[in-house]
Amino acid sequence: MNRFMGVLWSLLFLMVPILGVGVFLFAIMGVGPLYDHWLPININRHGHVIDDLFMFILWLTGIIFVGTSFALFLFMWKYDAAKNQKPVVFSHGSHTLEIIWSIIPAVVLFFIAIYQMNAWADAKMRRPTEIINGEEVAQAPLAEVTGRQFEWRIRYAGFDGVLGTGPGADGEMGTADDTRDDLFVVNELHLPMDEEVVLAIKSQDVLHSFFLPNMRIKQDLVPGMLQYVWFEATQPGTYDIVCAELCGWGHYKMRGRMIVHETREEYEAWLVEEYRKQQSLPSVDNE
Amino acid sequence: MNSHRSSSFFIVSSLLAGVALTGCMPGPAEFNLNMAYVRKMERSVDDDYQFETEQTRDIANIVESLFGTPDDPHLPRFLDESTGEPVLADIIDKGWLDMAAGEVSSDENGMATGVYREHCVHCHGITGDGMGPTAEFLNPYPRDFRSGRFKFTSTPVGKKPTDEDLRKTLMEGIEGTAMPSFKLLAEEEFTAALNYLKYLSIRGEVERRLIYELAQLDAQEGERLIDLSLRETEPDDFKDQEEIIKETVASVAKTWRDAEESVTEVPDQIVDVRSNEEIRDLVERGRQLFHGDVAACSKCHGALALGDGQTTDYDEWTKELEPENEEALAEYLSAGALTPRNIIPRNLRLGVYRGGRRPQDLYWRIANGIEGTPMPAALLKADDAPPEVQGLNTEDVRALIEYVRSLPYEEINRAPYELENKRNRS
Repeated sequence: MNRFMGVLWSLLFLMVPILGVGVFLFAIMGVGPLYDHWLPININRHGHVIDDLFMFILWLTGIIFVGTSFALFLFMWKYDAAKNQKPVVFSHGSHTLEIIWSIIPAVVLFFIAIYQMNAWADAKMRRPTEIINGEEVAQAPLAEVTGRQFEWRIRYAGFDGVLGTGPGADGEMGTADDTRDDLFVVNELHLPMDEEVVLAIKSQDVLHSFFLPNMRIKQDLVPGMLQYVWFEATQPGTYDIVCAELCGWGHYKMRGRMIVHETREEYEAWLVEEYRKQQSLPSVDNE
Repeated sequence: MNSHRSSSFFIVSSLLAGVALTGCMPGPAEFNLNMAYVRKMERSVDDDYQFETEQTRDIANIVESLFGTPDDPHLPRFLDESTGEPVLADIIDKGWLDMAAGEVSSDENGMATGVYREHCVHCHGITGDGMGPTAEFLNPYPRDFRSGRFKFTSTPVGKKPTDEDLRKTLMEGIEGTAMPSFKLLAEEEFTAALNYLKYLSIRGEVERRLIYELAQLDAQEGERLIDLSLRETEPDDFKDQEEIIKETVASVAKTWRDAEESVTEVPDQIVDVRSNEEIRDLVERGRQLFHGDVAACSKCHGALALGDGQTTDYDEWTKELEPENEEALAEYLSAGALTPRNIIPRNLRLGVYRGGRRPQDLYWRIANGIEGTPMPAALLKADDAPPEVQGLNTEDVRALIEYVRSLPYEEINRAPYELENKRNRS
C-alpha cells in the first residue's frame, strides 16, 4: 500500500514538469497548423509591441522553467535515498552562490523593466495628438465607453467631435446637424480603420476592466476615474469587447461588439444612420 | 497510521454525505402563489379574514392546469373552441415558450434553452414576481410582471405594451436601472425570452384576477372557485364556475391582443427637422411650459428639473402594499413583498432616459403618461383649439421635448472632467 502510494505521488509530481514543458512547447510553436493558435489575432498597429514582450517573457520563463525542472529531476534521481547510503551533509550556504543567484535574476528583471518602459509609455502616456488652430493638443476621444453591471454604454462625440456639446454649451446652437449630436449606443463600438482612435473609458458602478483582446488593450476601470486608451485598427470586421475584472454575478456576460469599418466614409454613414434613429427620423435610404 | 487514514476517510465521506443531504439537487422549480395579493384580497373582505387553505390551493391548481409549471409551461387551450375568443397562441408562441422555459441547457443544434433562467430569473424570479435573489439589492426593484403593467410603452396608461416596446427594453436595457441590454443574444434566444415574459405576465395577471374573484365569492361560506365534485352532481353550477375562469383568461388575453391597435401615433410635428433658430425658440417655449400651470412638470420634476419637486409618492406596485398603513404593510412584507421605496421623479439633467431618448419615446412618455407611476398623461388639445382651451397642442409637446432634451447639455450639468480633467495623463 505504502509503496503504491509512493509511486502514485511520484508520478503525480512528475506530471508538473512534463505538463509545464508541454504547455511551453505548445505555446511557442507557431508553425504549420499551429500558426496563430496562441493569441487572438492582433489588429492593432501598435499591438505587436505587447505580443513581442509577451513572447520574450514566455521564452525567458519557459527556458528557466525547463532548466530548473531538469535540475530538480537530476538531483532527485542522483540522491535517491534508496540507492544512496552516504550520510547527509548539512551546508550553511555559499556566499558566492547566493550572490550569483541574486544578481542574475536582478539583471534579468532590470532588463525587462528597461525593455518594457517604452511600450508602457506608448500605451499609457503618449496619447496621440492632433493639431487644432495650429496648436498640438491631445487627440479628443471618438467615444466614451462607460462600463456598468453588466453592459457597455457608449457615447459618441458625433459630427463635431466633441463630447457633451449641445445648445447652450457655447451659447450658440451651431447648425441643426451638429447640435445635440452625441450618440448613445449600448454594447456596440463602431470605429474607422487605419486611424488613431482614442476612447475615454470609465465605470459607473464598480471595478470593471475594458478589454479589447484583438487590440491588445486592457485597462481596469475605477469608478470616478476617467482614463484613455488608444489604438489603430488594421483590419475591418467584428471583434469582442469583454470585461476582464470580476464585477459581479453577470461579469461573464458583460460583452460588447467592436465593429471596425473599412473607411472613414463607411463609419460616418453608420454615424448618420444612428443619429437619424436617435432623432426618430427615417433611414437615409427611405428619405 | 491506519487509524489516521480511516479517520480521514470518515471525514471525507461524511462531508460528501452532508452535501448530498443538504441538497445539491434542488427539487423542480415551482411557481409561487401571489401571497401578498392573497393577503390584500383577504383584507379587502375583512382585516382579520383568511381564506381557507383549500380555497387558495384551488387558485394554485387552476393556474397550474391553465399554464403548467416552470419546467413544462403550456397555454390554456379551451378558449378558441367554446367562445371563439382570441386564443393565447396568437400572443405567445408555444415553441418559443418551451425554449425559454426549463433548466439552462442547449438543444442538439447547440441553441440555448432555459433562456429565462439563464438571463432573467435572478432578478425577476421564477414566477416573474420581481423577487429573484438579487432583487432586494437593486434600486429600483426589478419589475413584477404579474400585475401586467409595464412602464415604457407606446400605448396609453391602462394598455399593454406592444412586442416592439418589450423588444426595445430587452435590446437597449433600461439606463439608470439594473436592467442591462441583451443586444448580443441570438435572435432566437431574444424572441424566446420575449414570449416567456408575456407568458409570465398573463399567467400572473390571471392568477391575480382569480384571487380577486375568490374574494368576491361569498368567501365566508367557504365557497370555492371550482369544485370538481360538482361536475357530476350540479353540472350547471360547475359550468358557471368554469365560465368565470374562462372569462378571466379571455379578458387578460384580450388586453394583450388589443395592444397593437392602441399605439399612440407620433405626429410628424414631433420629429420633423427644424432650423436652429426654431429649436432655440422651442426650447424657450418649453421652459415656460415646464414651469407653467398646464403642463406643470416642475411640480414633480422640480423647478430645476432635478427630480426633487416631490419625493414622497409611491408607484402602483408599492401602493398596493399600503406603505402608510403599518399593520397592513407588515403583513404584506411577511407574505414576501419587498420593503417599499418612494418613487423619485426623474432628474432630467442627467441625460438618462429610461424609456429611450428618441423624440418619439419622449412624446409617448408625455402624451401617454407612464403606467404605474405618478407621471400622468398630459392634457392634450387639438391643434386648432382656441388659446383659452386648457391643454397642450402638438407644438407645445414638441417644445417640452426640445426643452427636456436640451437640459443635459446646459453648461451647468457638464461634469467637471468634461471641462477640464485633472487626471488627464496626457
